[in-house]
Formats: sequence, structure tokens, C-alpha cells
Amino acid sequence: MERRDFLQLLGLFSGAAMLPGCSENRSAGKLVSYLVPPDEGVLPGAALYLPSTCGECPAGCGLTVRVSEGRAVKLEGRAGHPVNDGGLCMRGQAALWRLYHPERLRNPLRRDGAGQFQPLSWDEALTLVVEELEQARQEGRANLLLSGRTTGTLTELQQHFCRQLGVEPLPQFEIFSHAALRKAYGILFGQAELPHYRIDQADLLLSIGADLLETFVSPVGYARQFSRAIKQDGFQWLHAEPHYSLTGANATERLVLNPGSEAALLSFLLLRIESSGQEGRLPRQLLRALPAVSAGQAARLTGLAEERLERLAKQLLLAERPLLIAGGIATGQPNGLQTALLAGLLQQQLGMIGSRIEFARAENYAAVGSLHDLQRLAERLEQDRVGVLLVCAADPLARAPAALDLPGKFKRAGLRVGLCDLFDDSARQFDLLLPLSHPLESWGDAVPRKGVLSLLKPALDPLHDSRSAGEVWLELLRRSAKPAESASYQEYLFDVWHRRLDERQLQQFAEQGYLSLPVAAVPLRLQAERAAGQLAGAETAVAAPWSLVLAPSIRSFDGRSGSLPLLSELPDPLSTVSYGRWLAMAPAAAQALQLEDRDLVRVAAGDWSADLPVRLQPGLAASVLMIQGDLLPEASLPIDPRSGELVRVLDGVRLEKLGSAAQLAILAGSSSQHGRGLIPDPAHHAEIPPEQSRFYRAHPHKEYRWAMTVDLELCIGCAACAAACYVENNVPVVGRRDHLRGREMSWLRIEPFYDQAGRAGFLPMLCQHCHNAPCEPVCPVYAAYHNPEGLNVQVYQRCVGTRYCSNNCPYKVRRFNWWQPQWQAPLEQMRNPDLAARDRGVMEKCTFCVQRIRRARDRARDEERPIRDGEVVTACGQSCPTGAIRFGNLLDEQSAVYRLARSERAYRVFAELGTEPSVYYLRKG
Amino acid sequence: MKSLAAREKLEQDVLKGLRRPGKWYLLGLACCALLFLGALGLWGYQLSRGLGVTGLMHPVGWGVYITNFVFWVGIAHSGTLISAVLFLFRARFRSSFNRAAEAMTIFALMVAGLFPLIHLGRVWIFYYLFPYPSQRTLWPNFRSPLVWDVFAISTYMIVSLVFFYLGTLPDLAIARRRLSGIRARIYSVLSLGWTGSHGQWKQYGRLYLFLAAFATPLVASVHSIVSWDFAVSILPGWHTTIFAPYFVAGAILSGTAMVIILVVPLRRALQLQPYISIDHFEAIAKILLLTSLIVSYAYLVEYGLAFYGHNQFEMELFRYRALGHYRALFWLMIVCNSLVPLTLFIRRLRRNLAYLFAVSLLVTLGMWVERFVLIVTSLAHDFDPYAWGTYTPSWVEIGITCGSFGLFFMLFLIFVKTVPVLSMSELKERL
Amino acid sequence: MARTYRYAEQEEFMDKLRELLQSGVGKEQLQLYTPYHLPEVEQLLALPPGRLRLFPLIGGLGGFFGGLALTVYTALSWPLITGGKPIVSLPPFLIIAYLLTILFGSLASFAGFLLLARLPELDNLLDPGEFSNYFIIVVAGERP
Repeated sequence: MERRDFLQLLGLFSGAAMLPGCSENRSAGKLVSYLVPPDEGVLPGAALYLPSTCGECPAGCGLTVRVSEGRAVKLEGRAGHPVNDGGLCMRGQAALWRLYHPERLRNPLRRDGAGQFQPLSWDEALTLVVEELEQARQEGRANLLLSGRTTGTLTELQQHFCRQLGVEPLPQFEIFSHAALRKAYGILFGQAELPHYRIDQADLLLSIGADLLETFVSPVGYARQFSRAIKQDGFQWLHAEPHYSLTGANATERLVLNPGSEAALLSFLLLRIESSGQEGRLPRQLLRALPAVSAGQAARLTGLAEERLERLAKQLLLAERPLLIAGGIATGQPNGLQTALLAGLLQQQLGMIGSRIEFARAENYAAVGSLHDLQRLAERLEQDRVGVLLVCAADPLARAPAALDLPGKFKRAGLRVGLCDLFDDSARQFDLLLPLSHPLESWGDAVPRKGVLSLLKPALDPLHDSRSAGEVWLELLRRSAKPAESASYQEYLFDVWHRRLDERQLQQFAEQGYLSLPVAAVPLRLQAERAAGQLAGAETAVAAPWSLVLAPSIRSFDGRSGSLPLLSELPDPLSTVSYGRWLAMAPAAAQALQLEDRDLVRVAAGDWSADLPVRLQPGLAASVLMIQGDLLPEASLPIDPRSGELVRVLDGVRLEKLGSAAQLAILAGSSSQHGRGLIPDPAHHAEIPPEQSRFYRAHPHKEYRWAMTVDLELCIGCAACAAACYVENNVPVVGRRDHLRGREMSWLRIEPFYDQAGRAGFLPMLCQHCHNAPCEPVCPVYAAYHNPEGLNVQVYQRCVGTRYCSNNCPYKVRRFNWWQPQWQAPLEQMRNPDLAARDRGVMEKCTFCVQRIRRARDRARDEERPIRDGEVVTACGQSCPTGAIRFGNLLDEQSAVYRLARSERAYRVFAELGTEPSVYYLRKG
Repeated sequence: MKSLAAREKLEQDVLKGLRRPGKWYLLGLACCALLFLGALGLWGYQLSRGLGVTGLMHPVGWGVYITNFVFWVGIAHSGTLISAVLFLFRARFRSSFNRAAEAMTIFALMVAGLFPLIHLGRVWIFYYLFPYPSQRTLWPNFRSPLVWDVFAISTYMIVSLVFFYLGTLPDLAIARRRLSGIRARIYSVLSLGWTGSHGQWKQYGRLYLFLAAFATPLVASVHSIVSWDFAVSILPGWHTTIFAPYFVAGAILSGTAMVIILVVPLRRALQLQPYISIDHFEAIAKILLLTSLIVSYAYLVEYGLAFYGHNQFEMELFRYRALGHYRALFWLMIVCNSLVPLTLFIRRLRRNLAYLFAVSLLVTLGMWVERFVLIVTSLAHDFDPYAWGTYTPSWVEIGITCGSFGLFFMLFLIFVKTVPVLSMSELKERL
Repeated sequence: MARTYRYAEQEEFMDKLRELLQSGVGKEQLQLYTPYHLPEVEQLLALPPGRLRLFPLIGGLGGFFGGLALTVYTALSWPLITGGKPIVSLPPFLIIAYLLTILFGSLASFAGFLLLARLPELDNLLDPGEFSNYFIIVVAGERP
């Protein structure tokens, strides 16, 4: 592209901010005098907010990166972004831990003859790749590229690179490939795509197996949509699943299915709705192909009551805008494709396709393959037909089912080149390692779904000698003397954007970091004959004594985020286990086997077995066992031959009690609230807590009285708030040993409480900033006191560490530094400079993000006005995907918290203690 | 038979204790010193690493250290009870025990005073608790029970020291007369030139009365204030009005038991049988029995209040104490503090020193366990069920606890060899 | 010329003391040494109550008001709200005042004792008069 255009675009995308990535001599270590403030560059104490896109999972949420003194210190969901609109999940929050991960590859490495990795320069490394590519080509061996899911310009560049260098691009690897769904839609409508579901447009949502709030395609986006939907009157959400997921816990009603009976349920619904004659009729050949499932049969197979099944059909019929989403566990089964097909039919039958199910805005999964492709790769490797194998931003070695024996077969490739970020066990299987830059260090774009373009722009200089994938491909092209139009990937991107977008769009893209593009309508036609052929012959599985469900984990996605320490520190929302693997089991089943939490059992399926501690999971079906999928890579799970999807429900599992117990960090002291009303029983709504008589006169607040409201109807227990709090407030990550002793440091935690029926409620618990705080008067040195704005302040410098305040806190939200907090380099660069570091021996706790209040106050003072409502957003509230947490001034009668705190649903936890918390919870319903 | 000969014999008998120490004494002293040094080492380790080396956790922020603090303050109580309260009540048997009991008070307070320091997160700034203005002219928070503790314990310590010293003054003068060499000079200085003139005796008598009058409310108040560390809080099981009398009774119970534990071997080793009679032991055993009954009553009242009050937090907590994670300790406490002392209703057992000694050991154990159960169960099982947790002491805490006993007995052994263990000038009145 | 009487037994000593007093010996002339506290002596000599009682009174009152003043002053000098309680929270301040009453009362009493009993005798601290096991009466030189 023209140099003039480039510079123009550069100016557009960089603004007045610094130009990270431009300075080559960043380690010059020159001290800059700030006598004369620089026009652009690092201003101490002033933070920059840059747009970017999250790369921690394929969802592609928009980010706002807070950059302070040249370091990214906080990620926030980008408000208005079409994918996440402001929220960010705990994995997104933890993405900074990947950026500053101590185990990141710092430079290219090559394995020497002795199997040791030796550093080499990029120049040497790339030359080696080019030579090996050439040699393999001459030997007639295939050069392959296996990449994780890419979208946008990088995909194009990758294709270009492959074409030019004769590298065969394999279908991209994702373990959550949604292959069954895509194949089913392909069969039914000729569109092998993953559509975009519009929960916010529905009045009845029936989700089957799809873990919408954990890992399914775009969890933050779906949580956001859910929060919009639930504000409509009469919104109902039914979730059917064999196990217990966070998604199920948040549905209006959770329908517990026998494993494998999803297809039976769908067949029944299809037939029942068809026979009602109210909805559009299905083609006859399809009807004939449908397995005939009567209500009785369906009840027997699914385990649901006949009456409930009938009612479900009626609910679907009565709903004006029903939406069905099947996926996840429901399609990760031997009959998963059938389930997906039946779901597609029901969607068609009830008229959701095209309205609440948008293929025009399909999620960008077309380039993603399935495990069949990995199987094929394994075969080719075995036949010694692979020369150079490039693996980019994917970890098939750790994720693929053990049956494929990929690590063994990998060795047959001529040269295994890994483009990855962490020097972990999988990385050690490669011959040549090329360190990948973190998305926050790179230029790029993403198209998470059709019609959404999201910007990646470096927020800081690369910490290590790393490159982005785009830079590597361009560099390789150049070295092979192939035409590479651009000098850098940045220029390549600018060129693409310049060509595709007009002036106004470019401007918008640069400013807001994302762009909504018009999409073309996708014509869909039900291909009845093809579908009927595929439906036939599929039968419903029969439940075995023990079924084992490998549930996807909200903490690590498919396991990729498991290496981020913060995500092990945060407990699993349902079991509250932080460190360690566990086997979830129904309390009744455990009682029958005389098992308690932490008792070891041996689980075996086929020739695989594992010894795991038990964790009781209220609400789980008695015959179902549950393991977090990411925690069990060694299980040799079968692959569904029809869809190429990983089968994640095992039947005929054997269970053996071992008689000993293991250490397992379970953070909850009890999964029941023992009738204490932390989350009020919905049956007692009318009960108005009696007005507390006060012993002391209330003390006044002058201008501000900060308060928070937490809407439990919106809270989904995803713990994004807790993760955001960790990062914002430099909360130390203390590790497994201290977790086993009950010394986690979280300032904000999600407390799941289960009722008798196993229904879960989630309570975010943080410092309640009580008006009459029990922690304050017991402090001998005034380290805890009530400030004039209603904050319960903890002065670290005064604290002598008597821990009396923590003892006297009824909410138990204070945290003591048992050790000197450790930040393994370069993690210390992540610390928020606005906050005091705490030493050992000091009590700490939630401050209501006092540094953010201070920032807002400074701004308001500069502009000579009071702080506006909504101007202070706490880190937890910012991150919340559903916007459940609001913060503001209780003295301002126009503020949201004032209104919410006076709502009929408002209550305060342990109000009867007279502590007068500043955190108001809004009960469900 | 208030004869000169009897007085002379008394002096000889008592001062025999100050003779060159024997093999067993030195061995005992060495063992105690070793325990103490070990604890110092462990404290150093804790200081260098952080409080993480203890078993303390969230939500149990107070454990063995505070248990030890309350325990040793409790032990310190019978000293004042015997020397001050029984003085005012003119109980004659008090002179058999008062010196040892007063010394015990001081040593127990010295040990007790260490524990708030050991338990602090940042002991290097412990002086923040003292009443002085910081560089920002901020004073300590006088609303905090911990500051009351600072005042109560230091007041108690100072008053006890004065009381002890005053009582020792005439005896030091006797030691001055009866010993020679450097020791005579030391006792000479310490006795401040006491001659026993009627002018000195007159002031002595008055001061003794005043101090007894000042110390008597301290018996009630010091452990009341220690109990308010808990009672002022909001926790179920701590927040109760019965705590002050309950703690005072418990303190006297454990202190009395400790006096028996100290004096029974002392009487035997120093052959003080003529001066400390079985009758005296019986009298003190009755105090033990009485306070045990009061403590048992308090246990009952606690449960009664919890269940009659029908507060769900209280009810659950008291259920947890008896049947939860720490139930073994709870029942051990009931057996040691409530059931075993009941046997002292039998006169024969009351007068059997070996039995009395054994009962006292059990009561001491029981009272330590009582404080542990009380402190830890309330913290482990309070309002928010999510935050419930259990605490197990670490070997560092156990080591430091053993070391505190080492320090206490070491100090007492040194006392036995340096100060007349019976109040000679008082006993002379009785002869 | 002083006369010294030495007795081994308390009764003999008391008899002699009574005799001396009846014979008109002034109580200021008498110097008595006893191995233990004999309140009867004070009764015989009809000694005035003495000033020692003033010390605990002054000390105690000083402690009480000093304690109260300290706590109130410090609370007001930097009024920080804790737990919604008033800045001047009298109940806890009374505890401090009470403890200081006892502390200063005791210390003042002890100081008064040392003062009134003329202890320590610094001049002959290392070689004081003997604290004897005998009852001794010293009658100072009789004036005509």
C-alpha cells in the first residue's frame, strides 16, 4: 500500500497515544525527565485505555486494556462491543496472566541432539523452517499446518502463506468444534455453520446440553443476552441436561435427563408438536424417519415425568418466541448427531430459523475441523508422509483423546515446529519452538462471527523476543522469495482494512475497536430427503448404572486456560473446588456408598481408570458422575464416528471405593445455607424485615455514601467479578497449599448455596461496608474505620495484624496475609500501580475499588462538579456479564443504587445483626 | 507456742530452699530452659516466614496463641485471689500458699503477655497499641477490647509485682541476716534496709491492706476484661453476658489447680510439711470444687440460653460445639472441669494429696481445652456457612505452647532458689 | 543513754511495753522492733492513722480522671467513627479510667509507703540494722 495511506492509518489507529511496537530499542533504559511533560508517551499515574480483542477463547470478546506506565494492568469488557457489550468472563480477566506468565517462551528454541532446547535467533529459526519445507517438498513429503481457530485477516494470510509455500492447511483444531451441530445444520439446510442464537429475542428458551454460560461458543455474549431476556415479563428458561452445569443452575427450571436421552426427548417433542397441528408441518418423509416416541416411552427414557413432558410440549407451543439451543454435552454423545438433527428440525418446526437463529450472523467456525481430521493426521503421520508439521496456537497434544496417541505419532514428522506461547509439556514435544506474541502485544483483527470486525492492537511492547503468527507467516514468505506485499503484518493489516473499509468505517473501527458490518441474508431450505436418510437407524442409548459426564469447565475452557494460576485459584462455581481434580457425585449416591467429600474412589471405563476424590454435588442425578473435562486428558474418550465430535458421556463406568481420603481444596464450608436467609427463600417474599431499633444515633454522611446493589436474579455465579477483583486489586494468588488450609485471599467470592431439591443460588460476597461495622471498633490501632463517604476503610500501614476484625466480621470477608505475597517475575508487572502493596501480617479486604472512586473524584474536581451516577464502576461490576452489580451514591436520589436499594426485592444479608451493610442484594422474582 | 525456737526453726526450714541446687533441680531447670529456647527458635522462624507457619486460617484467626494467653492470664488469677481476697477475708491458710501463688501470678502474667505479641501479624510495630500519639497524632482506639487488655494486663502485672515485693520485703531482710557473702549483700539491697521497726510495720500493714483492696477488684476485672475480648464481639458463642463471671470462675479454677500442682511437689522437696498442712490443702481444694461448680453452671447456662433464646446461629453453634468437629475436646473439657472435680465432695479424696494433684492436672488440661474449644468453635462455625472451616494447630504453635510451660516452670524453679517460698514473717504470727 | 530490752517471746515483750508506757515513758522515746507485724503495738501506742491513706486516694482519683481525660481527649483530637459508635464512648473509656485508678492508686500507695517508712535507707543500705527474730524495745535517753 501507499506509504501515505499507511501513515494515515497509523495515525488513525495510534491516536495521540504512544506507538507500542515501534521502538526497537525499548531496553535502552534511558531515564526521561518529566520536567517537560512528553507530548505522547508514558505519563506516570495516567492510564491509557486501548481497544483490543480477547484471545483467551474463540468467542472474541472486545476488550478495553488499561495501560499504565507502559504495562497492561487490567482488561475490561468493551462496552458496546457486539459480542460481549461490556462484560468479560474470568478467563478473559485472567488473560493478563498469560501475557505475564513466568513460563512464557522468551525466544526461539531448538531441540539439540541430546533432547535439550537451545536458544537460537529468529533468523536462524526461520531459515531452518524454510530449508526444511524445501527439503520435505523435494522428498515428496507433505508439509502441514495445523492451526487453532483463526478468523479475519490472519486466516487469509495463512491461506496465502500455505498456497505460496505449498503447505497443506489442515482444518483448524478446536476440541469444542461443535462439529455435530455444524454437520447437522449442513445436512438439514446445507449450511454447515454454527448460527448465532438470539436469547434476548426469545420468551421461552429451551437449552439442551448447551453450556451457554460456561464454554458454549460465546458465553459472555449469551450471559448478556440472558440478562436482557430476563428483564422481560414471563421469560422462561428450561435447561435439560444429564449432569449439573452452571447453565442448568441458572435456568428457571432444570430438567434432569437420563444420559443419552436427549434425542428421545426431541423426538417426542417433534411428534407431539406436529400432532397438535398448530405449527408448520414437517415433510412426510421426515416424519416417517422420526423414531416414534410416545409420552410413556419418552418418560421412561428421559427419566422425566410424563406430565412434565406434556407440559414442556405445551410450553413450547404456547410460547410466542420460543428458542431451542442444543449442543455441548447433548451433542457430545454417541447419538449426538441425531440429537443435533432433531434439534434442527424442532427449530425449523417452531419457526426459529431465520429469526432467533441467525445463519447470516453465523459464528466463524467454518474453518474448524473435527476430530476426524485429527485422526487423518495421525494416520498420515504414521505412514511417514509428513515433512514439516507446523502447529500454530493449538495444543492438540494435550487436548486430543489419548486413543489417537498423537504424542507418539508426532515423532514421525520430519520437523515439528510449534508456534506457542508457553513452554509447557506440549511445547516440549516440538523440535523447534517459535514464541508467539500475546494478542495484547500484536496487531490483528478478528471476525468472531459474521458481521463483526474486532480490532487487535498492541497495548504494550512485546515482553519477550516473540512474534505474532501473522508476522511469522509473512517473514517465512519473504525468506522463500515469494511475493509478500507488505513489509510487516501491521502494514498487511492496514492494507486489508484500507481496501475493505471506507473512510468513515475506518475511523469508527479505530476509535471504538470494533465494527458492525452489514450481513447478507442466507437463504435456507430444509433438505428433507437428505435429513431423513441421516435420521434413520439412529437409536437412543440406554442408561447404565454409572454414567460419567465430562463437563466443560468455566475455568479453563477446554483446558487451555488451565495453566493460568488465577484460574486455579478461583474455585469452580458449583463445587467450590479450587485446586485439584474431583469426581462430582450425588449426595444420595455417595451416602449409599458411605462416601464423603474427599474420599478417594477409583473410576474406570474400558481400560482407563483414575483415582479421584469425591465431591458431593447436590442436584446431580444419582446415577451420574461428573468430572471437569479439562482435568482428564488421559481418559481415552471415543470419537463419534458420525460427527467427529468427542464423546463426553461414558456409560458403564465402574466405581470402587478406595477407603482413603485425599486432600482437596473445597472452599465452601457448607453447601447449604442452613435456613439462614443469605439468599432469601422465594416462599417468604412478603416477609418484610422488621425495622431495626438503633442503639446509637446514625452518623451522617455529607456528600457521598457509596453503596452497591447486587441483583441475584441476574447473577449467574460465573465469578467474572471475583477474577476482575483479583486483577484490579493485586489480590495475591497463594496456591494450593494455602487453599488446603483455608487461606484463599479473594476479596470477593461467589457462594453457591443449594436447597433441598438441589437448586443452586449464587451469592457474591464481598465486604459489606457496614454502616455499623463490627470490625471497626475492635481494632486497637484504628486500622479499620468508617470514612466520611461510608466506606469501611482498612489502613494497611496501621494494621498490626491482630485479626480481631476478621473474627468479628459476620460476613467473613477479610483476608489476612499469612505470608509475604509473591509475584513470580514478570507477573509483578501486572500489578495495579494505583494500589498499595500489602505486606505479610496485614489484613486486607474489598475497598469498593477506592482507587476508582479517587480517580472519578479527581476528574470531577477538575471539572468542578460532583461525581456523576455511574461514573464510578467497580472492577466487579464492570466485568459482570449480566450487569448484576451496580455501584453509586446512596445520597443521590437520582442514582441507580438509590432506586434499587429501595426496590421491593432489596434486602441485606444478616440485616438482623444491625450492621447496616452498604451492599443491597435484590432477591429473585 | 510462739517461741523463739519455733521461729528460728521456721527460718532455717524455709531458707533451706535457698541452698546450693541439687542434681534433680538442675536437670529440671535445664529441661525447662531447653523448652523455652526451642520456643524462642520457633518464634524466630515464625517471624522470618510469617504467620503462615501456624495452622491459623480463614475463618479461624485466633487459635492456640490466644488460648494460651487466656489460659495463662487465668492461671495468674489465683495468686491475687489467695494473697488479696483471702487476706481481706482473714483466711489463715492463705499464708501457706500466698508467696508461691503470687510468684506464680507474676510468672503466668509474663508468659501470658508474650502471646498477644507472638500472635500479632506485625509484632515489630506492637507499640502501636500503647497509649502514645503516633507521628500523625493518632492515639490507640480505646473502644477496642484489645487496648483494654493492654491496660488490664499491665495494671495487673504492676500491682501484682508491688504486692509481691511488699510481701517479700521482711523475708528478704531475714535472708540478709541468715546468709553471707554476695547473696547477703544482694538481699540487703533488695530489702531496702528493712529493720522491722514499729514505724515500718505500721506503714507496711496499711499498705498491705490498701494493695489488697486495690487488687481485689482486679481479680474480678482482669479476667472480665479478657472475657470481653470475646463477649464484646458479635460471634455466636462469644457474644454473651455470662462471660465475665464465667471467665473469672474459670480463671480461679485453673489458677487454684496450678497452685496445687506447684505446691504439692514444693512441699515435698523442701520438706515444708509442718507449715503447709493437709488442712490447708483441703481448704484450697474446696475453692477448686466451688469454682468448678460455678464453671459447670456457666456451661449449663450457655446451653440453656442458646436453646431458650432460639437464635438459630447460637443454637447451631452450641450443637456444633458438642457434636461437631471439635466434639472430643468438648467432652474432654466437660469431664475434666465439671465431672472430675465433683469427686472432691468426698473428704477422703480432698485430703489425698496425690489425688488432689492428679485432679489439678486434669483441671489444668481441661481449662486449656475449654479456652481452645470456646475460641475456635465460635470462629469455625459462625454466621456464613460458606466460610465455615476447621483449624488444626501446626507444630510451631504446639512447640511455642510447650515452650511457654517451659518458661513458666523455669521461672518458678528460679524463684524457688532465690526467694523464700513461704512468707516467714507471716507464718511467725501463726506459730 | 538508750536502754535496750530484748525478748524472745511476744508476751514478755508486750508486758514490758505496757509497763514502760504506764511508767510514763513517752511513745516518741520508744523504738520497737518486732519479727512480725503486731497490730497490738499500734493500739498500745495509740498511733495516729497516718497520712498513707491520702496516697491511694490522690493516686486513685488522679488515675480515674486522668484516664477519662486521656481517652476523651484522644478520641476528640482525631474523631474517627468506628462501628457507628459515638466518638466519646463512655462505657469503654470508663474501663480505662477504672484500670488507671487501680494502677495509680497502687503505685501512689507504694510510693507513699516508701516515703513514710523512710525506705530505702540509702545511707546504710548495705549494712542496715538487723531484722531480728527477737522483740526489741529501745528507749531513747531519758530526760529528766
